[in-house]
This record gives sequence, C-alpha cells and structure tokens, in this order.
Amino acid sequence: MANPTIRILRAGDTTKANPFTICIVANPALEAPWQTGQFIIDPITADAAAFDACADYINQSLFAGLPNQQETALADPAIAPFVKVVSIFESALPPADANALVAQDSESDLLIARRTVFRPFLAARNLDADVAYAVSKSNTHTRASAWFTSDDDTQGGVPFTLDGQTLAHRYQCLIPGTIAIHSSATSLTALHEFHHAISSYTNGSIVDLYVDSSLGLNCKTGRPIPPDFAVYNGVTMASDPVRDHLGYPPSWQSYHCELHDPNLPAIMDNYWLAAPAADSNACQNDRITRQFVSDRVRAKLSR
Amino acid sequence: MEPLRPETRRAILNANPRAGPQIEEYERLLAERFTTDPDAPAPHPQDARVLPHKTREQRLRELYHQLFDGLEAR
Repeated sequence: MANPTIRILRAGDTTKANPFTICIVANPALEAPWQTGQFIIDPITADAAAFDACADYINQSLFAGLPNQQETALADPAIAPFVKVVSIFESALPPADANALVAQDSESDLLIARRTVFRPFLAARNLDADVAYAVSKSNTHTRASAWFTSDDDTQGGVPFTLDGQTLAHRYQCLIPGTIAIHSSATSLTALHEFHHAISSYTNGSIVDLYVDSSLGLNCKTGRPIPPDFAVYNGVTMASDPVRDHLGYPPSWQSYHCELHDPNLPAIMDNYWLAAPAADSNACQNDRITRQFVSDRVRAKLSR
Repeated sequence: MEPLRPETRRAILNANPRAGPQIEEYERLLAERFTTDPDAPAPHPQDARVLPHKTREQRLRELYHQLFDGLEAR
C-alpha cells in the first residue's frame, strides 16, 4: 500500500471509538465498463488539488456552507460537531478489483459506486464509514449516483413508527451508504446523494422525486393525492398537492410530502430546475425527509 | 442519482423533439436501479411497478442508444 494522505476535515466525537463517520476517498481505479472486471487508473489519482477541492465542496454542501444554502439540518449544533469527516488520497495503487470504488455505466454517463469494495478498502487503512463518497475524475462519466445503506438489522437502533409500522434507525450497517461523484460536482449534488446514502433498504429509503418513482419514505403512489402524506412518529405530515412550481405530469402516480419551501423543488427532486437557476443551492427538503435524516443521524451519533 | 442536467435534456430534444416520453422512461428506469439492495440475500418485496432486473437493463440499453447515439453534447 502506498502512503495515503488522510485529512481530518471534521474531528467529530473524539470520545467515541466508533463515531459517526463520513469518508471521502479519491477513487484509485475505475471499473470500465461496470460489471466487466476491466479496470483502469482513475485520473483523480493524478490530481490531488482537484480531489481536495471536491472534498471541501462535499463538506460544505453537507453542513450548509454553500452560498445561499438554506437546508441546514446537518449544521444543527446537536449534529455537526459530532460528525467525523475524513478524506483519503492515495496514488499509485494498481488498477484492480480491490481498488476500484467506482464503475462507469455502459448505458449512461453515471458513475456507480462498487458498494461492497468500500468497507475492506477503508478497513485496510484503519477506517470505517457510515457513508462514503468516492470521487472520480472520469473523462467520460460525470453524473453522480448512490446506493442506500444496508442496515445491520440484528443490532440495535432507535425505533420509530411510519404509518403504523415499527422500524428502526439502526446504529450499525452491513454495507455503508455509498456514493460515486465526479470531481466537478457542484450545488446540492453531494447533499442530494448523501440523503440517498444515509437512508436504508430496510428502514426507510429516500428515493428520487424527479421521476415517477417507486415507493419510498419520501414517495407514495396513487390518485387522487390524499391530503395526508404519512404519519411519522405520531406526527401527521401533509402531501404536496402541486410539486412546487414543477407540477406532477399527468401520467404520474407518485406524489410527495409537503415542502419546507414550496417555491423551490425539494432537494431530492430536480434542483437544477430551481428558478432562477442560480438558486439551486437554496432548495430545501420536504418535511419527512428532513425529519428522518436528522433522526437517523442523531440515532447513529448516540451509539 | 443526480438529476439530468437541463442542457443534456435540451440537447436530446433538439435532436429528437418527440423524445420526451423516452427520456422520462429512461430516467425512471435508471433511478429504479438503486432502489433494490443488489447484495441482499433474498429479494426485497418490491413495488409492483418495478421491472425485473434483466428486463430493466435490456430496456435501458435500448433507450440509451435511441437517446444518445449520435448526440454530440452529453
């Protein structure tokens, strides 16, 4: 192993052996294309400055540090000081399966996290993560994507109710939430993907709202749209009957939760369509997403 | 998944003004990929509207070629 450069962007809760941790890794190798077993060196390994700039951007985006950013849930003084954020840059690793955290999709320009590779990669550097970003400087693929967390449902957590069902904000994961992002990413992309990644396949998934999505914590289906979206921990949250200024296309069956700012798209919706475009940074979450993410991070902080 | 950038959408529609429904289907299927745990030991119960993996990937391939082949600005 070459000598990795590890930067502590946020110290987090130094009193804990296993604090809530977000890792940002310069992706050593790309699988190109995805699921072919062919690997190439990721150009990010030759551009430490671009990686550091992207890691700083991700850190800012998570904690309300972007210009005009209005979503401040993670900047809460009860959360932000306790979150550890670490970046890892390491060059000269061979283009091999164990070093490829990101793949290039053959049917799009999506970067795709190779989610099962992250934990062993980090463990070899004495690190673990609840959510991990891999930053690529692919020459052809620039669009970010994320996988939800695979929770460890055999271990504890903080229970909550969703529409009468009891679920849990789990303390531990089997596979962390993983994100593949390009070094040129801007605006709310890093935060949008974080919301996917911190959510769970078994305890509430946060899905994209800019397509007619399948069911998720933040998305339901059916027409007509009912006035109430969900009951989360005993609190009834309303539906968004109009999807801010974007509107639900007539063919859609999905609908969303009420917005904190009904004049702008939700962060999980198409924030590029905020009007004026310069205000993409100002988009906020819908009500259930903000509460869920805040509660889930707090649960992990309390472990 | 990062939303499709407006300039990419415009480029596709400039090349094919009637591609709107195809873009919609393509984006929905791409987003759907990430909603099922690919490493779960048993299939997770799914929304009835979610396509089986193989069917979805086949359709994505078709749509990708229809929308992006010959497109200069991606």
